Amino acid sequence: MRPTISLFCLVSCVFIFSNCNGQVKTKSISLSERVEQLSQMSFKRSVIKFNPQKFKDFVKATPRNYSVVIMFTAIAPARQCSICRQASEEFNIVANSHRYSATFNNDLFFVVLDFDGSADVFQWMKINTAPMFIHFPPKGKPKQKDTLDVQRVGFAAEAIAKWIHEQTDIQIRVFRPPNYSNSVAFLLVLCLLGGFLYLRRNNLDILYNKTLWGVAAVFFCFSMVSGQMWNHIRSPPFVHKSHNGGVMYIHGSSQGQFVLETYIVIVLNAAIVIGMIMMIDAASKKGGVRVRRIMAILGLVFVAIDFSVILSIFRSKAHGYPYSFLI
Amino acid sequence: MQAPLSNSAAWKSLITFTILFLAWVSGFSSRLFAVIRFESIIHEFDPWFNYRATAYMVEHGFYNFLNWFDERAWYPLGRIVGGTVYPGLMITSGSIHYILHSLNIPIHIRDICVFLAPIFSGLTAISTYLLTKELWSAGAGLFACCFIAIVPGYISRSVAGSYDNEGIAIFALQFTYYLWVKSVKLGSVYWAALTALSYFYMVSAWGGYVFITNLIPLHVFFLLVMGRYSNRLLVSYSVFYILGLIFSMQIPFVGFQPIRTSEHMAALGVFVLLMAVAGLKYFQSVLSKSEFKYFFIASSLIAAGTVFLSVVVLTYAGFIAPWSGRFYSLWDTTYAKIHIPIIASVSEHQPTTWFSFFFDLHILITTFPVGLWYCIKKINDERVFVILYALTAVYFAGVMVRLMLTLTPVVCMLSGIAFSRIFELYLRDEEVPSNNKNESNAHLYDKAGKLRKMKHEQEKESDEIGTNVRGIVVIVTLILLMMFAMHCTWVTSNAYSSPSIVLASYSSDGSRLILDDFREAYHWLSQNTANDARIMSWWDYGYQIAGMANRTTLVDNNTWNNSHIALVGKAMSSTEIEAYKVMLSLDVDYVLVIFGGVIGYSGDDINKFLWMVRIAEGEHPKEIKESDYFTDRGEFRVDEEGSPVLLNCLMYKLSYYRFGELKLDYRSPAGYDRTRNVVIGNKNFDLTYLDEAYTTEHWLVRIYRVKKPSDFNRPRLPLSNRKIRTKSYITKKTSRRKKGSIPGKPPVIKGKKPVRT
Repeated sequence: MRPTISLFCLVSCVFIFSNCNGQVKTKSISLSERVEQLSQMSFKRSVIKFNPQKFKDFVKATPRNYSVVIMFTAIAPARQCSICRQASEEFNIVANSHRYSATFNNDLFFVVLDFDGSADVFQWMKINTAPMFIHFPPKGKPKQKDTLDVQRVGFAAEAIAKWIHEQTDIQIRVFRPPNYSNSVAFLLVLCLLGGFLYLRRNNLDILYNKTLWGVAAVFFCFSMVSGQMWNHIRSPPFVHKSHNGGVMYIHGSSQGQFVLETYIVIVLNAAIVIGMIMMIDAASKKGGVRVRRIMAILGLVFVAIDFSVILSIFRSKAHGYPYSFLI
Repeated sequence: MQAPLSNSAAWKSLITFTILFLAWVSGFSSRLFAVIRFESIIHEFDPWFNYRATAYMVEHGFYNFLNWFDERAWYPLGRIVGGTVYPGLMITSGSIHYILHSLNIPIHIRDICVFLAPIFSGLTAISTYLLTKELWSAGAGLFACCFIAIVPGYISRSVAGSYDNEGIAIFALQFTYYLWVKSVKLGSVYWAALTALSYFYMVSAWGGYVFITNLIPLHVFFLLVMGRYSNRLLVSYSVFYILGLIFSMQIPFVGFQPIRTSEHMAALGVFVLLMAVAGLKYFQSVLSKSEFKYFFIASSLIAAGTVFLSVVVLTYAGFIAPWSGRFYSLWDTTYAKIHIPIIASVSEHQPTTWFSFFFDLHILITTFPVGLWYCIKKINDERVFVILYALTAVYFAGVMVRLMLTLTPVVCMLSGIAFSRIFELYLRDEEVPSNNKNESNAHLYDKAGKLRKMKHEQEKESDEIGTNVRGIVVIVTLILLMMFAMHCTWVTSNAYSSPSIVLASYSSDGSRLILDDFREAYHWLSQNTANDARIMSWWDYGYQIAGMANRTTLVDNNTWNNSHIALVGKAMSSTEIEAYKVMLSLDVDYVLVIFGGVIGYSGDDINKFLWMVRIAEGEHPKEIKESDYFTDRGEFRVDEEGSPVLLNCLMYKLSYYRFGELKLDYRSPAGYDRTRNVVIGNKNFDLTYLDEAYTTEHWLVRIYRVKKPSDFNRPRLPLSNRKIRTKSYITKKTSRRKKGSIPGKPPVIKGKKPVRT
């Protein structure tokens, strides 16, 4: 059976080196030559691309005085491994940070092995998930903790650097190439706004439009009050799908929330506010009596119904809350 | 009949006074749940330090307090208390104590400390009334006052016994804002100076004064941008800024921060800007139009360039400190999570869910945007201020649960505006006829007939919405408000009124069981340990140990020294041998851990343990690794599947020492942890370097004595290496008498009963 590349399924890798040591006896290069070649390759590209032959020559060969960190991946689009691309970007960042750091020397090399072309290495290492980061220490074989636990710590460049630091005592200060996309987007929006205002410079009423400012301010309040900042920091799931196919829209405990739940809260809050504004405007403005009367009643219904709904959601989250209204 | 009507101003003020008084009384009494249920006692953690400092000040005088070096905290470093504390709280209660004692009212300082926050909540309510009155109307002010008197978002920090800075700081905040709005309205030096004085009180009381220091300049800045510059603004801001700056530097803890840190630079920048605008306005009146144009462009460019460059240069040169971590994490919201575990570990510094907004503010959170809307619609100089206040506070509250406290007053004010508008409009039809009668009486001889006609038309129109609709609207709104009051009482009584050092549990028949383990343990410490004994615990309990047991602690809730805390964390999370080395180097005599497994108390040290590991890992990445404390599947568990590192670390051992022998009830197996609902993984172990010294009734607090090196059987030195040579002792047992013998022992033959002779 062909080994399938399944993402993030839990595997425990057992590394059996001894079985294969006998087979590898083709041509042995001396240690200094190997280091020389490796460092030359790493000068060309900070992440060296390996094939099975090179893997045998440089990684499986003994003795070594250098560590090798290998990313086993499946970059090819046909493999449909979307996170492999992100992972390899992060891995590149770490490798470059190491390559251009002041403390760079020839005791750590970054290597990538693609599944297409080195499938037998994957088979031999018994790897059937990608991406996988394994550290090959100078002496001995990789142990359990020489594999980066991608599920738990992720594969952000900082996490990889920290893991390498734990395994090899080589401290890599991750230097990310600054991400300009945010500032460019911000500048673009600013330019658009400025341009818009310049074009309309003879008619700047829009800046004095209180309704616009009011809507913006009130909407900002809604988004904060409904816990969008919590969503931003904690990034909860949109909804919860349980095993038997049911979908939960409301988080059961008071400690958490789903994204959809916060949207519901925004809508309810907005409805209450609109209802209240309708009530006030109905009583204060002049106009058709019927319209105003309907507005007042409609506003009242909005406030009462939506408040009772939000209260019942609240009650379902706060266990033992005694009060309810209408519902 | 006519006398009271003509005297309506008197009626109005009587009603106002009555409402304010009742708001104060109800606010005060709803904060007393904890005192009535338990006793008059200081709550939680930080209040214990404040209480201790206050007691010290009352005993030794103010100047000794300012010079107080506390050698009982942060052993062996100590802490300069006078220079690292906001003294406003202690001075407030100390002066109340002084006044009462000079009036021959003998009251204990503890009672003043316990009841200070509820009393100040009344003052907060009144200053909120004043502020809202300036912003909108007296009616809105009364609503806001009633709201803030009972709203849980504020009660959470001001129940009786929670003797903390926030209790008086919110009053100072609201009062400063009131004075500021008043001074902007009037443009008088007198009110601006009062603002600065009130600001001084706020600076002395709470670190949150930075909110004022940035909000008022923001207000001025927005007024400038909106083209609302006036001489009133110039007078009030320049007076406030200069006086406030000088005042705030008088607090030892603040010192030169106002001119050296980035948090305060906005105020300076706005001051310079305001001066520049004022100068321009002056030149505008002197120069001709075309001259002024060039002058304006040139001067504004030069001014902006110099201000910006000087700030940048000074920051790089180190004269201006960059943003401190706590403030920085407000902008870059993921910053603290990655870089400062000690800030992220505090539950108050977590972001806020919509649930806690609703829990703390109930109907107010859904209605305050209405008030905001009308403030924007009918904008003036003061309302710009309240809008900015609302927007900034709602953002901060979203980032940190703790800052809900600064949001609460503005939400009360805006909701007060919304509700007062509803009642104003929908209750009017009852007032209009009487008013009209009154006016028609007063204008009996007035010939301005047109005016009266218009009034009649208006009256007709306002009546047309119908009495029924009005009645229904008023009744439903009243029901909502009543629900708010019930919610507040329920939340206050259930969530915010436990002293947290005395726990209560209710059995099935409703009877109450008081768990007083904390005070039991602290009392034991104070009675049974040496006066200079040093006690190691996690930092949460530092203030309580110092306050109640009066013993030296290593770390406490003033988390100023991260590496010291990390050292304690390292001791707790490493093995006994490693921990013993750390404890020896820190001269620890006793170790105190909180363990909730017997009664199911969830706030115990095992549940906080991961933070200890994280903080220790930050400083000692070689020895402590967070991943070691998880199982292979990334779970944190204390049962048999838990990671072996966890099951052998000091914290685990101290929490579960001899717990494996304990059977809580006949259904559950021995060693069943009720907090985590598992049977613990490592049951049979002994402690080598520590002795169990005391365990409280419900096992909530466990105290261990650290053995001195002299307590052990020292390793045997070979005779040749000994410095003090003793005579070699030769055993008298010779080979002949190797076996001991019992005289008269019956001969034993296998398979037969020994025969007694």
